[in-house]
Amino acid sequence: MKKLLVAVAGLTAIFAGPAFAQKYPTKPITMIVPFAAGGPTDIVARIVAEPMSRSLGQQIVVENVAGAGGTTGITRGAGGTPDGYTIMMGHMGTHGAAPALYPNLRYNPTADFAPIGVAAGTPIIIVGSKKLPADDLKGFIAWAKKQGDKANHAHAGVGSVSHSTGILLNSILGTKPTFIPYTGTGPALNDMLSGQVDYMTDQIVNLVGQINAGTVKAFAIATPKRSPALPNLPTTKEAGLDGYEVSAWNAVFAPKGTPQAIVDRLSDALSKALDDANARKRLDDLGAVIPEGAERGSAALQKLVVSEVARWTPVLKDAMAAQKK
Amino acid sequence: MDIFSNLAMGFGVAFTLQNIFLCFLGCMIGTLVGVLPGVGPVATIAMLLPITFGLDPTGALIMLAGIYYGAQYGGSTTAILVNIPGEATAVVTVLDGHQMAKQGRAGVALGISAIGSFFAGCVATLFIAAMGAPLTKFAQLFGPAEYFSLMVMGLVFSTVLARGSILKALLMVFLGLLLATVGTDLETGQERVTLGIQQLSDGIDFAPLAMGIFGFAEIIRNLEEPEARDVVRGKIGKLLPSLAEIRQSFPSILRGTAIGGILGILPGNGAVLGPFASYAVEKKIAKDPSRFGKGAIEGVAGPESANNAGAQTAFIPLLTLGIPPNAVMALMVGAMTIHGIIPGPQVMTKNPELFWGMIASMWIGNAMLVIINLPLVGMWVKLLKVPYRLMFPAILIFCAIGIYSINNSVEDVYFTAFFALVGYIMIKLGYEPAPMLLGFVLGKLMEEKLRQALILSRGSFTTFVERPVSGTLLAVALIMLVIAFLPAMNKKREQAFQE
Amino acid sequence: MSEQISGEPDKKSGGGLLQDVGAGLFLILISLFFIWQAWSLPLGSLRAMGPGMLPMSIAVIMGIGGAILMTIALVSGGPRLTRPHVRGLFFVLGGLILFGLTVRWLGLIVAGPLAMIFGSFASEEVRPVEAVIFAVVMTAFCIGLFKYALGLPIPIVAFM
Repeated sequence: MKKLLVAVAGLTAIFAGPAFAQKYPTKPITMIVPFAAGGPTDIVARIVAEPMSRSLGQQIVVENVAGAGGTTGITRGAGGTPDGYTIMMGHMGTHGAAPALYPNLRYNPTADFAPIGVAAGTPIIIVGSKKLPADDLKGFIAWAKKQGDKANHAHAGVGSVSHSTGILLNSILGTKPTFIPYTGTGPALNDMLSGQVDYMTDQIVNLVGQINAGTVKAFAIATPKRSPALPNLPTTKEAGLDGYEVSAWNAVFAPKGTPQAIVDRLSDALSKALDDANARKRLDDLGAVIPEGAERGSAALQKLVVSEVARWTPVLKDAMAAQKK
Repeated sequence: MDIFSNLAMGFGVAFTLQNIFLCFLGCMIGTLVGVLPGVGPVATIAMLLPITFGLDPTGALIMLAGIYYGAQYGGSTTAILVNIPGEATAVVTVLDGHQMAKQGRAGVALGISAIGSFFAGCVATLFIAAMGAPLTKFAQLFGPAEYFSLMVMGLVFSTVLARGSILKALLMVFLGLLLATVGTDLETGQERVTLGIQQLSDGIDFAPLAMGIFGFAEIIRNLEEPEARDVVRGKIGKLLPSLAEIRQSFPSILRGTAIGGILGILPGNGAVLGPFASYAVEKKIAKDPSRFGKGAIEGVAGPESANNAGAQTAFIPLLTLGIPPNAVMALMVGAMTIHGIIPGPQVMTKNPELFWGMIASMWIGNAMLVIINLPLVGMWVKLLKVPYRLMFPAILIFCAIGIYSINNSVEDVYFTAFFALVGYIMIKLGYEPAPMLLGFVLGKLMEEKLRQALILSRGSFTTFVERPVSGTLLAVALIMLVIAFLPAMNKKREQAFQE
Repeated sequence: MSEQISGEPDKKSGGGLLQDVGAGLFLILISLFFIWQAWSLPLGSLRAMGPGMLPMSIAVIMGIGGAILMTIALVSGGPRLTRPHVRGLFFVLGGLILFGLTVRWLGLIVAGPLAMIFGSFASEEVRPVEAVIFAVVMTAFCIGLFKYALGLPIPIVAFM
């Protein structure tokens, strides 16, 4: 019996070695998307999964495991077998804001994953109701400061991108508006159209249609560069607000312990996918920012996760503590 | 441009060979997943999104829309035949539909639901075409306070769902409301009553709850009373409703269409209320309300029409405002985005061929669904002849796979088993599950809207009365409540709780 | 549903508990459970509701309702509880749980027949050979339908 065990262990070692990695992948790969299908993260995942499948020669099957701001799916993914057949699409919330928001989080974003690479960044925009007296960011900031808690700031639920980025904005501006919680961007936007709530921050994908139609006022985009999707919208810096540059990035991770050769293979496939003309066009249409050069790959992603956790933890912890009082 | 030239353009788009085929394909898949318990349109559309990458956006959306309303048709089949409501909107269909099936009138129930849905679909499509844009103004009247009042009105309806004791039905509504509070608190993000189970942090899912409490509890009860179910198999009855039955249910279909169509426009998933409201109205105005719950054809015709009308008009907030009212519509937004069409108020002017093509295809789709579904009625009814010892393991496996695939989660399967146990205990205790599910569905929206409204008004309850739409809805609810309880108050106490 | 049970004067009941006494108890127990769970949550005020406000108040109202139901039954009587169908409960729920336990680990190809065969024994009319054949056929059908026709990501042979 013991001999058999040793033999099995030996075989496993052989298979886990580089020889095995060369054959990888031999069966379909599961990509866990921790959000419902059709949302911004799901769309990015499906856009990159298609060309990735082509360059890997195996299908990437997207599996949506939604719940708890994406942490349910990532918890499952982090516990998956580290053989390269389970990967996941994390984002700003699951690998940046989550440690501050979920005290019982069962994974550590900086230590429990083998990072593969950033897939796309989705810029954040500050938008307000048409009823607001302000027309630009300066006017908006003045208005928000004057209103104090009379201002109604909508967000799409605790843990959502609009919630985290909204808290950050308020903490930078030093304003204390009244937070109105919604269960998604849609209902929040609806009440903004009718003027019941005043402003929110959210991903460009969710807002660009309304902005172009003029049903909401866009004040600034929180990226270093203007977006081709909204060329007339100034960046926060241009509009006079320093330090508010945020993006709801999406990135691919594998569970910790995935062999380096496999991680490199996936990293390379992701990079190729991001150069695919069709995928680029789709991502551009979304207003997404595609990482280039040094922004790609494992090392860049690991750096990003570390800096994001450090950035979000204090801001969110303070805000959550203030809310619970 | 007037509506006729627009519609003509729409039909021009929808009547290409490719789009007709995609519409047909969508309707077929939709019917299939609607029939399968658990695998709803949300999961299917999510799976098929990448397949539509290669299609042009209009074709892709036509197909996905077909899946959506096809699933509404298919869902009623499962509700009627095996007592399993796949979605909140099918809960009331179960009440009289399954009773009809038990009486050997499954064919009639399925037939009238297809005819009612078709009629509702046609009217709703015309409605969208003619009134889509102006109706968005109506939807804007609904803020959190108005939704809350609407939900209160919905809860008042729930007393009408009761077949036995009104007190017990009311208590079930409260149980539903209570179950709806499980999960992460909206405002603070604190976990409530989740027992530390991660899957509960977003609350209890509808499908495991409904399938456990209706479907599985019913299976166990059927096994307990073999006599009752063998009678069902004995007589299959005729396959399609007679002219007299159609005439009898036609007014219900009209009312259901109107109620469902109007509620469907509301961007906060008002469509879920449609079937409940329609059932309540039908029962209230019936000459003999005691027939309801025992296989009244109006109790199927009205809610089914309301359901389908709502399913169609739910496209209005999506197409004219760019705001998805429910999970399926959120997927449609995803589909549009993937195809490079940015959802928003400009879809109608910027992509008229998409807008009108989709509307035209809805009409075609509805016609196709009748053509697909009416011949299937015979097949479904024959399925009832399968001996129960084979039938129930088959339902078991379909449900198990279906529930698993909603979130790819085995925990959901365990929850279903747990709720089946609860449902069976409830049967033993003489409780009815329908009011509980209504309370559950409305509870989530109600707490959200109540708290939003109170935060917006900075804690002032007068907001519900001051705002005209909200005040009117509350007044209607109050009047309905008084009407429901007045006759009871005049009777002796024993009768008071025994409608 | 209920009227069939309550309408027939206890055919199977062994002179057990009054149905509505049980029904009231059932709600009181659930209500106590929710009160216990929501105890630590801040209630807030009516003007600014905390997370605990709704669970707590609904649980209390429901519990009181359950008590009223019990009292009415104790005063004026009513139908009695019938014995539960333990066999049905055990095999049907057991089948579901078996499915859950095995589907990720062994795949649908094992979990499907296992759940169906086990579940089949819920019926007194079960014919073992027929049940096994039917389970295998249905599983094959389900694999074709769910995996290949609908493309759901459900594991088929997970152990390989």
